[in-house]
Amino acid sequence: MTLPAFVGRRRAPDPLHGGAAREAAPAVPVGKISWRTRVKADRSLLIMVVPAVTLLVVFAYVAMLGNVIAWENYSPYTGFVHSPFVAWANFARVFSNPLFLDAVRNTLSITAFQLVFFFPIPIFLALLLNSVMSPHIRTVIQSVVYLPHFFSWVLVVTLFQQMLGGAGLVSQTLRHHGYAGFDLMTNPHAFLVLITMQSVWKDAGWGIIIFLAALGTVSPELYEAAAVDGANRWRRIWHITLPALRPVILLLLILRLGDSLTVGFEQLILQRGAVGPGVSEVIDTYVYYQGVVNGDWGYSAAAGLLKGVVSLALVMGANKVAHLFGEAGVYQKA
Amino acid sequence: MKTTTPLSQVGFTVVDRRSFLRMIAAGAAVVGVPSLLTGCSTSSPNGTATGGGAGAGAVGDVIPKYIPVDFVKPDFPSVNGSVPGYLTLPKKFVQSVVKPPGSGATFKAMTPLWGTIPPTSGNQYYKAVNGMFGSTIEFQITDGNTYGDKLATVLASAKDVPDWVSIPSWVFPPRFGSEIVGNVFQDLTPYLAGDKVKDYPNLANIPSDAWKYCVWNGKLYGLPFPGGVLNDVIFYRNDLIEGMGITVDVKNGDDLLALALELTDAAAGRWGADDLWTPATIIHSVPPKWKLDGGKLVHRVECDEYRAALEWNAKLFASGAVHPDAVAGQTGDAKKRFQSGKTLIMGDGLGGWNEALRDNLASNPKYWQQPFDYFAADGGKPVLFKANSANIFSFLKKSDDKARITELLGLANLLAAPFGTTECDVITNGVEGVHYTKDSTGLPVPTPLAATELQPTYIFLVDGPVTETHVQYPGYVKAVSTWQAKNAAFVTDPLFFGQQISEPTQFGSLAQPFVDLEKDISRGRKSLKDLDVAIKTWKTSGGDELRAFYQKILDGQ
Repeated sequence: MTLPAFVGRRRAPDPLHGGAAREAAPAVPVGKISWRTRVKADRSLLIMVVPAVTLLVVFAYVAMLGNVIAWENYSPYTGFVHSPFVAWANFARVFSNPLFLDAVRNTLSITAFQLVFFFPIPIFLALLLNSVMSPHIRTVIQSVVYLPHFFSWVLVVTLFQQMLGGAGLVSQTLRHHGYAGFDLMTNPHAFLVLITMQSVWKDAGWGIIIFLAALGTVSPELYEAAAVDGANRWRRIWHITLPALRPVILLLLILRLGDSLTVGFEQLILQRGAVGPGVSEVIDTYVYYQGVVNGDWGYSAAAGLLKGVVSLALVMGANKVAHLFGEAGVYQKA
Repeated sequence: MKTTTPLSQVGFTVVDRRSFLRMIAAGAAVVGVPSLLTGCSTSSPNGTATGGGAGAGAVGDVIPKYIPVDFVKPDFPSVNGSVPGYLTLPKKFVQSVVKPPGSGATFKAMTPLWGTIPPTSGNQYYKAVNGMFGSTIEFQITDGNTYGDKLATVLASAKDVPDWVSIPSWVFPPRFGSEIVGNVFQDLTPYLAGDKVKDYPNLANIPSDAWKYCVWNGKLYGLPFPGGVLNDVIFYRNDLIEGMGITVDVKNGDDLLALALELTDAAAGRWGADDLWTPATIIHSVPPKWKLDGGKLVHRVECDEYRAALEWNAKLFASGAVHPDAVAGQTGDAKKRFQSGKTLIMGDGLGGWNEALRDNLASNPKYWQQPFDYFAADGGKPVLFKANSANIFSFLKKSDDKARITELLGLANLLAAPFGTTECDVITNGVEGVHYTKDSTGLPVPTPLAATELQPTYIFLVDGPVTETHVQYPGYVKAVSTWQAKNAAFVTDPLFFGQQISEPTQFGSLAQPFVDLEKDISRGRKSLKDLDVAIKTWKTSGGDELRAFYQKILDGQ
């Protein structure tokens, strides 16, 4: 795959990395000015930021305290103050349930598979699209590939069922011509491929937006200079385009990893009956069927928290890796 | 049922199969007797453990006395509990509630609706019914398919609950019996128990079996939407099958398998059957929950019947007779496939019959679907388990104001007016000249306004005893009545019939693996060996405790 190849390269000293470098630089030296003076000086800015901070505190951080129910036998009608405290019992139940481990395994295999077969596709698409010169054609193509993103999963799954299902267009056409039909939708062995196809169809087009934006910042002069130096098309992509995309790719990769345990609740729940939970049960659907449906909130919260912890670890790890490659990643210490 | 019959909408297969499946998936976590729950759950706040408090005797004390009234003699009287049928509408209606029961107050009612939500302002249908009430009911109507989602939030805040709330059993939220019903809703026992119901003769006319399901913790909370004794049936498209020159003669499970395969022609886009899992459980007499084997409780998943049903359904799938979209689990479109002739055999609620006629007769006057006479998979005598006698309930918001509750019950009494009364006629057909005109035979013909205004909403608050009155579909009442009379003979009460039993939430997740297995084994992804493993896991992870929980209830009866 393309990805590891350029991730491993030393960072090219070109001006494009200015942005990343600026982010990385420490803020204004603050040690010498007193706290009071700083507040005074930034008063209007601080006031402007208050609403956003309040929103964040109330709806993100205060709400987070609700996670306490993971340690309770929680009932919404009793409230989290009066619900009995059960220490780690919910977590013990999560770990002792073999179905949870299956769900984790499925989640990770879907993530890994899509990281390899889905994540790079928007990059290719962006590169292809970037090479289209006519702005008119480009806009048309862009619109066409963006469109499926706005379809709901119900629609996407139905569409695939009507095309590739046992009574779908392809199968029926084959039958009319004397061949045997096939049913891709109910084959558990092909499920990884199937859901990746669906994701690509639906979201690959949408995914190119950020890459296209990054490509737009590459100065045409660089390409001209390289062309003058005798670099062919591949060389130009390799030495100019991809290095320009690298920070964005890494950033998105980290974000994707942080999100990786969320592999598409709707998409999977819609196809659970078709292929069975053996391949389609992921952590999110597990939490839904084992906890939420039964009002077993404490247990659901425990499983959900575990997912959060693993996601955090993945983000931190990926961020660390990004630093090793000399990139800013999502954040870094001041 | 009345002329615009709601039975179809009660039949869970009709309404929203997915939510019903979800209910099953939830292990039907709320099936009743929370008084017993206290022994098992530390979190039950209103712990009134009364042992087998929900035993038959206890229920008998709190439900209303059954005092039947007959305004019109049915053409097909009830046989073994079958639904009575009427071939014609009565020439003259009886007014069962002479004086409007209301005081001019306004009440808010929340109901589901499987249809287009009618306008609330200027609605002449509501105006007519409110006129009979002498009070006003303001509706908060929500799409039936998402009703459970709204309900969960509404019930979380007791003080914001509307005065009158309809709740279908398949959207009972978790902990409904243990924590919600007693805290949010009015105990109706002091108003309706035993002879007290005499003040409300139409409510007294509702059969006891329906009321039994309205009892939680030994107290009467709900008002029922009564149902019939037979619900799950297996339909086949005999209009199409006869056209193919095939005679239907199914006497056992193998016959059905053979028929399904014979009807399948994939190249023509036609498959013999939809997913027949529910029919498989019927023909194999799989108990709904438990059965007694030598005095010992055996859960349905442990029964040989369950195993045999799985094996049978797997054979059906393996034969290739099931429509691929059904194999892919697209249950929502099952009716569409059946009615368009892409499948020829499907399981459904009995109420789906008249609904299918309603939706298809106009475009296809020859449309006809017929339920199989029940048969046992082995060709022996079929054993059918009686369907719950009520699947939709309504509840009154808790109130200390006795006059308010009495008034609401007065309105309920009016709504429960049976077939043959003026009230029932208005609730079913609306106002003559506005919502319908009469044709030459005296049958009401709906006006265009009826389509927007006259949606079945009142029936979900409370309804009279179930009747078959779909006289507008030629031959239907006769067919459904004779079929029911013939088949009701095989009906028997399942264990714990007529009881609302709330299982503690810790057992809620026990059922899900079997819901999944039913699909996996049917589709050949897993084998019966996996069932053995699942049963073993079930026992150790709470199944045996669940058995003890039910044993305690059984012992208390």
